[in-house]
Amino acid sequence: MCDWCEQYGGGYERWYFNPANYARRLYKVRREEAEASGPEANPQAAGGMSVVGREFLEAQARGDHETMARMRRDAEQVSWRIHFGQVVTKEEVERIIDLIYPIGLMTCVCRRSMRGLPDEENFTCIGMGPGMYKWERWPDTYRGGMNFLTPEEAKQVIDVVNRRGLVHCMYTFGTPYLAGICNCDYPDCGGLRTAVDMGVRVVWKGHSVAQVDPDRCNGCGLCVRRCQFKALSFSSSTLKAHIDAFKCYGCGLCRNPCKPDAIEMVDRASLPAVAGVW
Amino acid sequence: MLPTIQVDDSKCSDPLRCRLCLLACPTRVLGLGTNVAPKKYQETPPSHFIVRGVRYQFCTACQKCVEVCPHGAISVSYDRGVTA
Repeated sequence: MCDWCEQYGGGYERWYFNPANYARRLYKVRREEAEASGPEANPQAAGGMSVVGREFLEAQARGDHETMARMRRDAEQVSWRIHFGQVVTKEEVERIIDLIYPIGLMTCVCRRSMRGLPDEENFTCIGMGPGMYKWERWPDTYRGGMNFLTPEEAKQVIDVVNRRGLVHCMYTFGTPYLAGICNCDYPDCGGLRTAVDMGVRVVWKGHSVAQVDPDRCNGCGLCVRRCQFKALSFSSSTLKAHIDAFKCYGCGLCRNPCKPDAIEMVDRASLPAVAGVW
Repeated sequence: MLPTIQVDDSKCSDPLRCRLCLLACPTRVLGLGTNVAPKKYQETPPSHFIVRGVRYQFCTACQKCVEVCPHGAISVSYDRGVTA
């Protein structure tokens, strides 16, 4: 079981299916927590969206693993308390959408930061809960405005971004308060690239792991470009897709273009060696 | 050894609109941020947006961002053979 389900599951199968983690009373907690942690807790003010910066990269360049481990641990402690994500599958998001209200479609701050995307091309993030009502007060945080959606419209948005190849992640804003469904890709997402490039777990792997059935795989390779985590490759010796289970984040995106339906999502807990790999 | 990337903010007035360097970088090193926290009822003015190196470890010092900048605001240097 993942730490978050254990702490905040409240009897539900997953912590993000527990309605209490979307409750308004937690929103108050978030404000105090975020303010107490200073300006670094504001991902926008940090510039470049990084929880660890040049100092970590310099330690990496000189092979100083001790400093890297310390910085990683410190960054993770702050992130897990305030703002971190966990990858979920499309099916899970669809279930979550029926739990949340209101649902707002907003622009992605990460992609604005890395690509300078104009607002009209950048509506990929879903925000939910009482925080959405304050968008007019914070025009810079909600650049481009807020489109409120019905649950059906939100599911259509998820379908579109999923086909585009974006990974769905649940984000906390003052853990365990869940207020964002981000649709992310490497390397533009600050969370994914920090996790993948630096091993800082600001995004946790999901509860599933993808497996290829080699008898079904026809070697078309369409799945490979769907992986944002460098977990999927094409084996030139077998002419089939190859998944590294230890790198797989369980987003399920690789399944979607697979005509022979050769990729199956299995429960992380069913594989003892990866059950604790988050 | 990481490259040094310097941006002269006084020459770079509206990077969110321009974004040429962000798009030119083949390894997605550069990022855009603000040098002020968001304010209530106020969009951050363009002059407070800044470009900085983010993913230094992927910078090849190819100078494409330097070449594409219409204002000559970026410089990238890499000291060959010098280890930290």
